[in-house]
Amino acid sequence: MKLPGLALSLAVVGFVVLIPEAAEAARINELSDSTLIDRAARFFTFRDPSLRNALAGSMLLGVCCGLMGAFLVVRKLSLLGDALSHAVLPGVALGFLWNMSKDPLAIFVGATLAGLLGAGTVQLLRATTRHKEDAALGFVLASFFGVGICLFTMIQNLPGGNKSGLDKFMFGQAAALGSSDVILLGVVTALALGAVVVFYKEYAITSFDAGFARSLGMPVQLFHYSLMLLLAFAIVSSLQAVGVVLVSAMLVIPAATAFLLTDRLPRMLVLSAIFGMVSGGAGSFFSFVGRNLPTGPFMVLAAGTVFAAALFFGPRHGIFSRWWRQRSRSARISRENTLKAIYHVLEDQEFAIEQVSARELAERRRETIEEAQHQLGTLRRHQYVTMSNDGDSASLTPEGWRRACEIVRNHRLWELYLTNAAHLAPDHVHEDAEKIEHVLGEETVRMLEKRLNYANRDPHGRLIPGLEDMRFAGARHLGQSRATGFGNAAAH
Amino acid sequence: MNLAAKPHGENGWRDRIRGNSMNEGTHSSPPPLEVHDLTVAYHKKPVLYGIDLAVPMGSLVGIIGPNGAGKSTLIKAVMGLLPLSGGRVKVFGKSFGESCHRVGYVPQRESVDWDFPVSVMDVVLMGRYGRLRLAQRPGRQDREIARECLEKVKMLPFANRQIGNLSGGQQQRVFLARALAQESDLYLMDEPFVGVDAATEAAIITLLRELKSRGKTLLVVHHDLASAREYFDMLILLNMRLVAFGPTSEVFTPELLQTTYGGRLTILSDVAQTLGSQS
Amino acid sequence: MNNLIPSFDWHRVVVQPWVDDLPITLWIVLMGFFVTAACGLVGNFLLLRRMALVGDAISHSILPGLVVAFMIFKSTNTWVVFAGALAAGMLTVLIIEFIHRQSRVKPDAAICIAFTTLFALGVVLMSMLESAGSFHIDADCVLYGEIAFVPLEPPVVWDGRELGPPSALRMALVLTAVALAIALFYKELLVTSFDPGLAKSLGMRTGIWHYGLMGALALVIVSAFESVGAILAVAMLIVPPMFAAQLSERLSFRLAWTVFHAALSALIGLHLSVWLNCSAAGAMVVAAAALFLAVWAASQARRWMRFRSKIFQSAGAQIVGDPA
Repeated sequence: MKLPGLALSLAVVGFVVLIPEAAEAARINELSDSTLIDRAARFFTFRDPSLRNALAGSMLLGVCCGLMGAFLVVRKLSLLGDALSHAVLPGVALGFLWNMSKDPLAIFVGATLAGLLGAGTVQLLRATTRHKEDAALGFVLASFFGVGICLFTMIQNLPGGNKSGLDKFMFGQAAALGSSDVILLGVVTALALGAVVVFYKEYAITSFDAGFARSLGMPVQLFHYSLMLLLAFAIVSSLQAVGVVLVSAMLVIPAATAFLLTDRLPRMLVLSAIFGMVSGGAGSFFSFVGRNLPTGPFMVLAAGTVFAAALFFGPRHGIFSRWWRQRSRSARISRENTLKAIYHVLEDQEFAIEQVSARELAERRRETIEEAQHQLGTLRRHQYVTMSNDGDSASLTPEGWRRACEIVRNHRLWELYLTNAAHLAPDHVHEDAEKIEHVLGEETVRMLEKRLNYANRDPHGRLIPGLEDMRFAGARHLGQSRATGFGNAAAH
Repeated sequence: MNLAAKPHGENGWRDRIRGNSMNEGTHSSPPPLEVHDLTVAYHKKPVLYGIDLAVPMGSLVGIIGPNGAGKSTLIKAVMGLLPLSGGRVKVFGKSFGESCHRVGYVPQRESVDWDFPVSVMDVVLMGRYGRLRLAQRPGRQDREIARECLEKVKMLPFANRQIGNLSGGQQQRVFLARALAQESDLYLMDEPFVGVDAATEAAIITLLRELKSRGKTLLVVHHDLASAREYFDMLILLNMRLVAFGPTSEVFTPELLQTTYGGRLTILSDVAQTLGSQS
Repeated sequence: MNNLIPSFDWHRVVVQPWVDDLPITLWIVLMGFFVTAACGLVGNFLLLRRMALVGDAISHSILPGLVVAFMIFKSTNTWVVFAGALAAGMLTVLIIEFIHRQSRVKPDAAICIAFTTLFALGVVLMSMLESAGSFHIDADCVLYGEIAFVPLEPPVVWDGRELGPPSALRMALVLTAVALAIALFYKELLVTSFDPGLAKSLGMRTGIWHYGLMGALALVIVSAFESVGAILAVAMLIVPPMFAAQLSERLSFRLAWTVFHAALSALIGLHLSVWLNCSAAGAMVVAAAALFLAVWAASQARRWMRFRSKIFQSAGAQIVGDPA
């Protein structure tokens, strides 16, 4: 499940890179006056080599950051990603100073070193001062960035050198990705992917329970630092496209989105990589359509939108989904309570009648007649009752009768269980049973019946309806044969 | 107070499988755990000093002492999770690193993030990781063993649940199953009874006794004095220093408990009372 | 490389700024001091509450507040901008809490998600306005501000006399307000930061103090924003309290050290920026961090010396004595 997903995402990236060159490449400045729609259409022809680089690079960075970010999120190190991504700035400047040009390799090396120095500083501050994690991270983030800003402004004031494009490292410019940048990203992504696939077991256990991993004799520190190194690689190779300020978002947001949607680490890794890729692609698309606006912010907005969608509409943990489940559960509980009330009304009449009027129901539940009518209407929609012609009284359908019996049985069984097994006074058990009756499963009921020796009367002396009673096709048969209790059924 | 390794009737079945059956009853086989003059310090403040222990094979040992006595620290130091300031630890006569595959570990339940995206099965499989080579995946046999261990703690129906959806007792059982899957000879357990219901507690202690009867050695950090006497056949009384180590009947005395728990008489007076009424 | 670091010319670096460009130098140093001191004072409480990175989050996310306020009211009036930024800052805090409460995403990830998304929104809106030609602000300024522009603002004239650049005066006002508030509510802030449970049992409403602090945080960051930008403001929030915490255990002394540190780093930073010809705000952050590192190194050295002398003293003796 894991490999096909990753293979798919890589295939998409490969497709973009390897679009046949047959189509004549158009020059990017020919497009200057076209409309947004034209530009969008142009984007999807993938004819521009620079556009292809931008798109492939953005998607690769999404995959790479998504994979690394998943480990950051489950290790609760999200803010380390934030700190490191800012801390690489002085390294970028020094890499540029190496030979006064935007040599990807020099910048890569410089930034990686700065990132590792930042990570080391965080560790050192944590170990030698009383400052907490957040302060150490904040210190590294801000002071390294300050050094970087000083270096950058010094470079801006220098004569000579090809300084253009250096400012793009702040917010990213996917369009400025050269083929060597894309190759670098490809190598880093392959490295990250390879490490995660080969050492999945080790990374998973050291992330989940480092103490246990060490008790197995695993070199936990080694895996931690290798992960940090890969993280630094991911951050640094992504700088050109997404920018220093927002790399951390591409690390954390896709991973957090995936975390909302699944309970399994392999799936989370795949989803995170896919969300990263999609956000990266969307970022470069909008950046292109919007006439080379900075790419990073668009990627982050795309990722943020996906996150918000997962937060609200995620099938299991989504806010909206949970609310909906909650609502349908309370609707079910309210229906079951109405059924129970109907049963009680019938029981009070010793099952001599079949129909229950809204007024009787309302009296029983101490509610207004309108409310009772509304409840009966709900039951009718669920085909638990049929209404009389004047619409005022209802009789249970076989299904409704069965459900009503179940609920009453659950309630009384539980009351009996609490009084017999837990030795509670009979007047203390009603409240609890009111809640439990809606959640008892058939299996538990069988168990309860067995433990209670198939008793047929509850602590208040009322009959507990049994399976035999439920088999009647509905209340209309009750004129002859009243609720017997399953004890009676067994006695036949 | 230390006991020499007592003869025991049965070796762990793993030893038999391996064929390196230890010479039963002889004193030449190294004890599962030997601690000599162990000292551990946090930020230069000592938490444990001068601990000497030799735990005999096949014993169920409780580690008790007040809060901050260094009970968990002792276990962690044995496994090298904390740096030692002094002393040495021998596990089956070798360093911990050399015999770590013979040691099973149950960490405290709070030590992990229960929202972590893994299933119960995944966690139990982690117990097998110590036996796998680098980058090797658990195979079918490992899964089979993990399943058996889950069955033993009655958690098999939950194998595919995410671990966060379990109750405290169930989570503890999962950790126990993971330690079982390690198929070790020495088990170190850090507070396995914290936050579990009575049924689970009973199930766990039955399991521990069964392990013991198969010749395994178990060290269990325990916080509840009242049940300690009933559960363990040997006790380590710890309060930064080793107060006493020996068979429960010998060390579970009002005097030694008083030394261990210092002025904390609230718990102690209860225990002393029960002791008095029983003797 | 030689071009990069000019030779250190005493006269050019130290004397000239105060002799030839006195008003400019003075206002830059003062502005730097006001910003660092105000941020640092609030930062002390953030550090106590382990919320240093919430400051980071707010400083980023006020950008969309600024831009949206401008788009709605079509004005760069201080109060409009200010209200927008303040609203955005509070919104960030609410979003972080919402994500954290409503899902199993951990607070650290929630912080990261909230502020990066809002910041990205701000940058996108800003670039769109810019390409539409209706708004002009250098994107990089958002990150590190331009403190050197402060003395160039048309000065506030009151009663026929020039008082100084408006942003510096505003910052001075904010600093005064923050200092006053801390002096007045020192006890409450201390208790609610140190032990919220105790504070609640004493009948204090911890929520009010929490949001009050967040409000103060947003206030200082917004006023610092244009001179030091989003990211360097974080340094001003975190570094001075860390420096102070190295030097004192007591909160009141820490607050004093914070102010001292602010003054020193503003001064050193200015000279550093003159020497290296770089961003003054950046240089102030570098100076602040260097001061912290110096104090930290000194404390490490002292600890090491003590440790060594202890070893020498107890040579031959048991280091860990018998506790009995």
